[in-house]
Amino acid sequence: MEELNSKFEKLIKKQAKYESSVLGLNLLISRLQKKYAANQTPEELKNCLQEMESFLKKYNSIVKKDIEALKNL
Amino acid sequence: MFVNLEQAIQLIEEGKILHIAADESLLAQLPKGKWIAGTTPYFITEQGGITSKDKLFVDEISCAIDYKTVVYNKDNIFDITKDAYPNGITFLIMPFASDVAVFYAKEAPYSDDLLMNPTIGWISGFDLSTDSRAKVYDGISGASYWDKAVALHICLPDDEIASLGIINIFNIDENDTKIEFMEDSLSVTKCLVNGKEVIFSDYILENNIDTKLPLIADYNSVLVNVSIKSVSKENSTVDFYAPVFAGKEYHFARPISDYAESFHERLQEFHDFKPIFSCNCVLNYLYGKLDNKATPPFAGPVTFGEIAYILLNQTLVYAEIVNK
Repeated sequence: MEELNSKFEKLIKKQAKYESSVLGLNLLISRLQKKYAANQTPEELKNCLQEMESFLKKYNSIVKKDIEALKNL
Repeated sequence: MFVNLEQAIQLIEEGKILHIAADESLLAQLPKGKWIAGTTPYFITEQGGITSKDKLFVDEISCAIDYKTVVYNKDNIFDITKDAYPNGITFLIMPFASDVAVFYAKEAPYSDDLLMNPTIGWISGFDLSTDSRAKVYDGISGASYWDKAVALHICLPDDEIASLGIINIFNIDENDTKIEFMEDSLSVTKCLVNGKEVIFSDYILENNIDTKLPLIADYNSVLVNVSIKSVSKENSTVDFYAPVFAGKEYHFARPISDYAESFHERLQEFHDFKPIFSCNCVLNYLYGKLDNKATPPFAGPVTFGEIAYILLNQTLVYAEIVNK
């Protein structure tokens, strides 16, 4: 999952756009973008990346397509 | 399933784990058991929309390998994420206009853990032609509450996982007027319309905006509605059924001519779908004249607010259980 961190970073910083068909993932992306925009520090970015990674690990079975698509972001 | 009182009692006595929606007069007669419930006399059944105080809508949660019910108030509602099973789904019912529902509506989008725990549910209501009060019921204790939330935490087998979704028949045009708010609130006076500060109630009245249409914000392609409860010219206020949030851009929804047809079009992709729960908004039911109109494969209570992680308005929400 760590190889995806650079992609997640782009997403969280709104430098890239990705729309999932999974409700929870879309809400998470939106929330992390807002959270990071309010506190643009390396610590906050790390927290956001950890949160994204935890979500994708837990819901791996329903976000497999998203993970593949995010690799090409 | 839409059942009579005797059938509901039989399911409870058989030890089934149940989510129930019905009028208070029926819920008050149910025996203790493995269930939670909320009040509403409005339903969209497999046969169509109906107002009924004679039947109950019951979802049997047969996928559960364990369960617990927990009652929450405003001070501990976000313990819901701590109480949830590591692999599960939580059904949450909160009474309309209760402090706990208002608090949840405003704070859920900021909860760090909520998205890690599938939480689905609704805001209980009442017959709009009466001055009744919305309630929720904890079947384990048999107690009812007008000021507390009740949750049914379900533990799922290791090879299954819960997935939540929504169906919003409304849409926006990004080029339409942009509306922003200065604070998170259920009631506003001022807002920014295309960057210019205005009194929102004046803006709505002067522009003859149809307040049956929700405001919509885009959450990474998820369109989240905020329905307008009332507009007061005298007080210069606009009240909402869910909060608006500072930092989000809102647009009024595009008009819909036929709600039932719009649902029908959106439901084409769900032919083989088997939701374990769904509910739809009372505003869709009333504004869309959904009496006698079905929304297959979705059937369930008609509600005063919908929960799919966060509080939603004028939206159909559903849960399914999928294999890992």
